[in-house]
Amino acid sequence: MTTAQTTTSTRGARIEARDLTKTFGAFKAVDTLSFEVEPGRITGFLGPNGAGKTTTLRMLLGLIHPTAGSATIDGQKYHDLDHPQSIVGSALEATNFHPGRSGRDHLRVLAAAGGLPDSRVDELLELTGIPAAARKRAGEYSMGMRQRLGLAAALLGDPRVLILDEPSNGLDPEGIRWLRGFLRHLSNEGKTILVSSHLLQEVEQTVDDVVIIANGRMVRSGAMSELRGAPSTIVRTSDPAQLAGALRVADVLAQPGDDGELIVETTDKRLVGDVALRAGLPIWELRDRKADLEALFFELTEGTNRNLGDGNAVPTATAPTTHAPHETDAISGQEGANE
Amino acid sequence: MGAAIKSEFRKFFTTRLWWGMAIGIFVSAALFSGFFGWALTSDDITADQTGVEGSATQIVNSVYTGGLSVGYLLMLTVGIMQIGSEYRHKTITSTFLSTPKRVTAMFAKIVALLGIGAVYGLISLLGSVSVGAMVLSLRDIDPFPSTEVLRTLALSLLALGLWALIGLGVGILIPNQVAAILVGVGVAWIIEPLLGFGLSFVDALQGVVPYLPSQATNAMVNGVTQSGVEVKPLSWWAAALVLAAYAAALSAFGTWRTVRQDIS
Ligand SMILES: Nc1ncnc2c1ncn2[C@@H]1O[C@H](COP(=O)(O)OP(=O)(O)O)[C@@H](O)[C@H]1O
Ligand SMILES: [Mg+2]
Repeated sequence: MTTAQTTTSTRGARIEARDLTKTFGAFKAVDTLSFEVEPGRITGFLGPNGAGKTTTLRMLLGLIHPTAGSATIDGQKYHDLDHPQSIVGSALEATNFHPGRSGRDHLRVLAAAGGLPDSRVDELLELTGIPAAARKRAGEYSMGMRQRLGLAAALLGDPRVLILDEPSNGLDPEGIRWLRGFLRHLSNEGKTILVSSHLLQEVEQTVDDVVIIANGRMVRSGAMSELRGAPSTIVRTSDPAQLAGALRVADVLAQPGDDGELIVETTDKRLVGDVALRAGLPIWELRDRKADLEALFFELTEGTNRNLGDGNAVPTATAPTTHAPHETDAISGQEGANE
Repeated sequence: MGAAIKSEFRKFFTTRLWWGMAIGIFVSAALFSGFFGWALTSDDITADQTGVEGSATQIVNSVYTGGLSVGYLLMLTVGIMQIGSEYRHKTITSTFLSTPKRVTAMFAKIVALLGIGAVYGLISLLGSVSVGAMVLSLRDIDPFPSTEVLRTLALSLLALGLWALIGLGVGILIPNQVAAILVGVGVAWIIEPLLGFGLSFVDALQGVVPYLPSQATNAMVNGVTQSGVEVKPLSWWAAALVLAAYAAALSAFGTWRTVRQDIS
């Protein structure tokens, strides 16, 4: 065990969830959810509030017993890890501190459980940028300081996997920027990172992969670049059809878009400009086409949110736990929601 | 295991609770032993009037453990809070994340609470023996009439630790910390002694009275007894076993329940 650990400690480890299911009474919070988180990548675990993200992460971490299915980290159940802090670090909620205990003492309590020295505690306080607050009672911390303390706790054992539940909640824009850079830095060290959020925009610049769930079920998973779609360019001109023809001659495909736009399947704006010039067409606008991720995310998730009130006439409201096909029919690229 | 125990001790000694309790235990031990040292040895009050009877050793035992009944209520509270504050502030999540084998985590709590009980026991003895011995000496009474007194002092440490474990069980049974403290202390301080008092008048049920936790605690330290009471206390070792059985049952139940719980 120890030797295996030292040789692989710099590499990330794989997280695997298979058919995870959790019911609270008659309510299916998580429904046969399967996904994998690849080593060394940052994966966004996304879904609207109430989708089942926290419940899923708590099942990964052995805090909630799954009704069915299983979850492993580096091939082992969390419960069976001998030195969990050196394999997995996690920060679940920013409120998990005794208000009368100082931030440093909170970390010392955890360090003791992991057999780690106090010097490691001070290192982490420094790294997460809260050394000045270390001796203050945690009850006096701002939300941002609590998030940083939670992150410090997660990193104590220099884990290979990091699991963070909504870490940017309550952070100001400066804090969010800091977090983004920090996660990048950790990922570059080779750590596997799973980070949940109810906002796709919040993590889209940070994550490599996404796992999107709604109503406890998978609606989409894959690389972020896939979700964005192939990059393309929008051009406006006096005669879109003529420009499309000229581009086709140059081996570039183009389709008409809204409002007289032409969507060109390339990122090479110079090529588009040159072709237009040769065709004698004016260019009124030439820009990158960005996938509207916000709209996509909404389409994937909110349209069927079981947690919204009656005003939102959702067909699933009466039967949130059935495998109603209409919930997912409209969604492309869906994986794993139904067997 | 050792790491988890160390973590539990740190948990306890890194909040203000511990020294508040320490002051409470020290002061109550000192006050009660001073008071008993004076009251139980007053020449002008004969044994008949106070209704108290006991040997010289028993009197000294009573003086040194005079604060024990307050002490064990405080330890009950400490036990409740060692788990209750984890539920309340949701630190139970980080406890089980750093020690995912919950039986180990709970066993660490049990060991730590026994240790904490002993620490507070020493603090309490510091107060009671210093003040008690002084008062007894002033009255020209031998403050250490026999080695049995040492046994009593040692058992009072154990009693405090065991009451902390009873608290642990209560804290798991009633997850709301404030409710657990109110119910736990209310039952141990008022209801259970009244029950024992009432039962001692019922011939058929008299036999169970010595097995009640407060009665067993008092029997452990072998102090003076009220004359005229028919119920005979248990011997010190039987009483210790009875109290240990309560502690074991409650903490085992708590562990079993915690292992099955979802932490959300
Ligand atoms: N202990 C519980 N008992 C009953 N319902 C719960 C419990 N925990 C979560 N839920 C419900 O399960 C659903 C998923 O919750 P959660 O996992 O917290 O979602 P998310 O983290 O995605 O916002 C919610 O509808 C929530 O109300
Ligand atoms: Mg959540």
